Amino acid sequence: MQQFTLFFVVHLTALFASTACIDYDGFLNMKLEHSLNCNDEKFCHRGSITLKSIRTGVPIIDQILFNEKHLEALKKLANEDEFYSIKTTITTGENSKGTEYLSSVKAQAFLENGLSDVINAWILPNGAVIAVNFQVANSTQPLKQATNEYKLNSKFYLRYIEQAPVPDTASYIQKMERDREAREKGEMKDNRSFLAKYWMYIVPVAIFVMISGATNPEASAPAGR
Amino acid sequence: MGNLSINLKPNFMGLLKCLNSINWFIVFFSLINLSMCIYEDQIGKFDWRQSYVGRIKFAQFDTVSTARKIIVATEENVLAALNLKTGQVVWRHVFESTSSGNIQLLHLSDQIITVTGSNPYLVRGWDLSTGVLIWEWGLTLQKNEHTDFSEWWVQNGLLVHMVPKFGSHIEVSVYNVATGHNRGATSKLPAVWINEGCVLSPPYYTCISGSPGNQLLLSMDVTSDAVQIISKPLAEYTTARNANLNPFDTNTVIPGFLLNEKIILIRGNKFEAINIAVSEPSASVALVDSASGPLVLQTWNDEAKGFTLTAHNLVSGQRVNEIGWSDRSLSIPEPELSAVICTKTAREQHVCRILVTAADDASHLIQQEGRVLWTREEALANVVAVEFVDLPVSDLDAAIESEFDQKEGSVLAAFTRRLQSQFQQLQGAVRTLLAGDAAAADEPPPLVRDYFNLHKIMVLLTDAGKIFGMDNLSGEILWKLYEPNLNTEAAVMFTRRSARHPPHDAYLTIVGKHEETGNGLIVSLNPIRGTPVGEQTLHLDVQILQCAVLYKADAQKLHALILLDKDENVQILPESSAPLVENMYMHVADRSSAVVRGYALRHDGERVSAKNIWSVDLSGGGSQRVVWSVSKPAAERIHSAGRVLPDRSVLYKHLNPNLVLLLTEGPDPVHKDVVVATCVDGVSGGVLSAHVHRRARRPALPLHSEHFLAYLYYNDKQRRHEIATLELYEGPERWVPAGAAFSSLRGARAPHVQRHAYIVPAAPAAAALSATERSLTDKHVLLALSTGAIVELPWALLEPRRALSPAGEAREEGLVPYAPELPLPAEAVVNYNATLLRLTRIHTAPSGLESTSLVLATGLDLFYTRIAPSKTFDLLKDDFDYYLISVVLAALVLATYSTKYFAARKMLKMAWK
Repeated sequence: MQQFTLFFVVHLTALFASTACIDYDGFLNMKLEHSLNCNDEKFCHRGSITLKSIRTGVPIIDQILFNEKHLEALKKLANEDEFYSIKTTITTGENSKGTEYLSSVKAQAFLENGLSDVINAWILPNGAVIAVNFQVANSTQPLKQATNEYKLNSKFYLRYIEQAPVPDTASYIQKMERDREAREKGEMKDNRSFLAKYWMYIVPVAIFVMISGATNPEASAPAGR
Repeated sequence: MGNLSINLKPNFMGLLKCLNSINWFIVFFSLINLSMCIYEDQIGKFDWRQSYVGRIKFAQFDTVSTARKIIVATEENVLAALNLKTGQVVWRHVFESTSSGNIQLLHLSDQIITVTGSNPYLVRGWDLSTGVLIWEWGLTLQKNEHTDFSEWWVQNGLLVHMVPKFGSHIEVSVYNVATGHNRGATSKLPAVWINEGCVLSPPYYTCISGSPGNQLLLSMDVTSDAVQIISKPLAEYTTARNANLNPFDTNTVIPGFLLNEKIILIRGNKFEAINIAVSEPSASVALVDSASGPLVLQTWNDEAKGFTLTAHNLVSGQRVNEIGWSDRSLSIPEPELSAVICTKTAREQHVCRILVTAADDASHLIQQEGRVLWTREEALANVVAVEFVDLPVSDLDAAIESEFDQKEGSVLAAFTRRLQSQFQQLQGAVRTLLAGDAAAADEPPPLVRDYFNLHKIMVLLTDAGKIFGMDNLSGEILWKLYEPNLNTEAAVMFTRRSARHPPHDAYLTIVGKHEETGNGLIVSLNPIRGTPVGEQTLHLDVQILQCAVLYKADAQKLHALILLDKDENVQILPESSAPLVENMYMHVADRSSAVVRGYALRHDGERVSAKNIWSVDLSGGGSQRVVWSVSKPAAERIHSAGRVLPDRSVLYKHLNPNLVLLLTEGPDPVHKDVVVATCVDGVSGGVLSAHVHRRARRPALPLHSEHFLAYLYYNDKQRRHEIATLELYEGPERWVPAGAAFSSLRGARAPHVQRHAYIVPAAPAAAALSATERSLTDKHVLLALSTGAIVELPWALLEPRRALSPAGEAREEGLVPYAPELPLPAEAVVNYNATLLRLTRIHTAPSGLESTSLVLATGLDLFYTRIAPSKTFDLLKDDFDYYLISVVLAALVLATYSTKYFAARKMLKMAWK
């Protein structure tokens, strides 16, 4: 029984793996940095997103709260119609050095939507992330204020890159088989003789020939002489 | 059949009626003729083909057969016979484009002997007149090294193969030409003095060897049984510090070579310096036989005198005056004597025919007195980019247009303008009437726009750096421009101003690299005349990362060129357009690292700066590399925003103009090779969809238009080519209201992606989508196959929404049921039986007729045609019976009036009764 359950679990995980389309599991660490109120440096800390398992894709989001200074800087960017850029550094078990990704949203839109954004990380079946996109969520909610500080409203989605479809030959052959069977059955039903099937075409032609032959018998008679 | 049986009643009239209805059926079906082929008499009416062979490597005059020919072997691995009088291809064999097709030797005796490949070698004999393969044998050498420098020649009916091993020995093998029977086996000749600077002048192998200052000139007959080395101190022949050995470009007489600018012959196992000076270090020297003894021919491009050719008698050293001239009108850069034949006429005059190949890949056959018999522009065998350019309107049309353009001015002024233009029109009409049709047929049609805008100029950029302007209707070269410093790898062409804006000229810009420095080289020209305009040829001092054309035109209707250089600085050409830069974005994909970066361009009042706003890393852990990056065609129109479904709802298309398809490929530890197709928004950097193909290689030929994308790849598992197609839909509701501008930065919404894959039962070489002016016409895919056919497929067959067995509603929509294999019917081949060899690209352009798309296929051949994906609905048939319709019309009018007269008479008679 024990063995059976173990087998079942293994089978289940294998099934799950195929649905999530991931060959590899491990942790994923995302360090988020933004270009806002950073004093001298170009990018400074904004927070981090940690996934214990890529396969389950449950994120733990930990981000700073925006203070008045942040908001001030963001408004300045918005006035100039500039971008608010976020740099993400991803480290995984295999890639401890980290890979950098850059994404930007319009500061104006970010401000208008109450500092809410959607983060999409696209991950290949081999566990490598190809892109981290920040997009402004379409929510016209006001800024959430918590004692002089503003909360960032981020949603994170891990997007698995699926396998592309392949030419579907198997089901096409099945369909052809079905069609052939159906045709064969259809032919079995209609096994009347040729005359039985097409009498309505043959009779008029025969009548026509007879009538035309009967109306001018004299015409053919001289030819016989 | 059911329809028939209802109509059919058992009487004569019924049958007649039925026949009548069948007739109508026939008429109806002939109207919706589903095949796309042309009639036999239409061959060559809308299409033309030009055959090329590539840059000539070896050439020899055929003096044996009666029909005079030149046999050539080319860099493109083509063996061909050219007609001596016209230069046209008589026959042609195209070998593999890889090293296995590389032609090593061309020898003419009573048949043609070629050696192709590089270990294994194939030795073949061809018939001279027909080009038919007579015999063939293969040769594989055991040792693969050193074969790069091996040499082949034919001597006394035996094929000699020499493999030098530098600093050690020479291996010489002699074979029977026709059978490959190795006669004397391989002999090893000890020669420690050979190096990479050695030259061969069969059968002598000559080298300079020894320490500097004490160098020796050594030569050896490698075919003689006894090893005999001719050795002389180099100082006897030259005092130059770095002496160079060069072979003659053509030599049919005596073994010899060039030592710097000195001609040295080997006669009787002795070096013999000839007292004929080589005029120019870059000159091409040939030794040819003639009736009055051997001649030394030299040709070079003199700065003052232009193309120059001289001849000297080898024996006397005297200049032969009747051969030799200079011509400034001939532009033959760096001429090379490919083949020369000299005979004597009855009047004891030399007659030479000289085949000259230039640095721009053109070959010229020149006769006595510098008369060019023909020129072959072999650069056209390697077209890199094509741009269709509209022709300017005629002066008359321009006058009419300007008449309606001018808004201001008094009534009187407008009236005089009108009178003037009408007088001009009248003049023109009278002139054409007087000239008649006969005169018009003789002279070429003027370079003005025709009514349907079918007549255009195609600007072709070639690998050699030569730019051609070609008439699309006739295929005639109108102008050519050679840019020796232009490296056309990844070069792009932009039409920055069309000819629609008189008095401004059309303006075309080519952005490429400098041959030596790798920095940006920009060539601007007038595509109608081929003359430089604007920036002319501009050599930048920095490498270019990306370039684009500004979507807004300036006051001169010129679209500015935006260049992003390696240091992420932005250059605007012309600089005055900088304030127009607004909402401009660029992206750069690095091929090897697979990192794609996006930049936002801003004008801050003084200058334009680029800011990196996004970057994605498609390397997938470091193994993937970017193979293709395709965005939408720049000036694409979209006719409808959605598709109507059977339930009368609309499925809206996702028409993101910034969408870029990126194809990457690389090895995978689990699935051998994988191909990843990623759709990225070029402005925001957002990924819209991504899919991975396992065990797939070589993603190729991406197509991208409206809301659909397609690309080919090779399925390693099934060993076949497949095409993946995808369509992006927004769903039953629009994201943005109708008419509102699309913005990539608006928000997070992902389109719905429909995908499918089909098997392509052929090896595709190129693909393109048909292009029409307003995109009303169906989109068709043109697939060029390796068999030499171009197949036209409707997009409906590639649609990913095709279901295996469509249910009631889907059937009503008219979707074709899914079949995994794409049909490639023979009647869908647009080039009928004109096989096109080694096709590389297909270019399409819209014409003024909505139904018609112009197509140019490039490769070794050029093929132009026009296609009508939805039939020529806006054009009368080619064989439309104008005579019949006018007779019928006239008869009808006559009948109407006569009946009117008779009716009136009858009425009158009735009234009298």
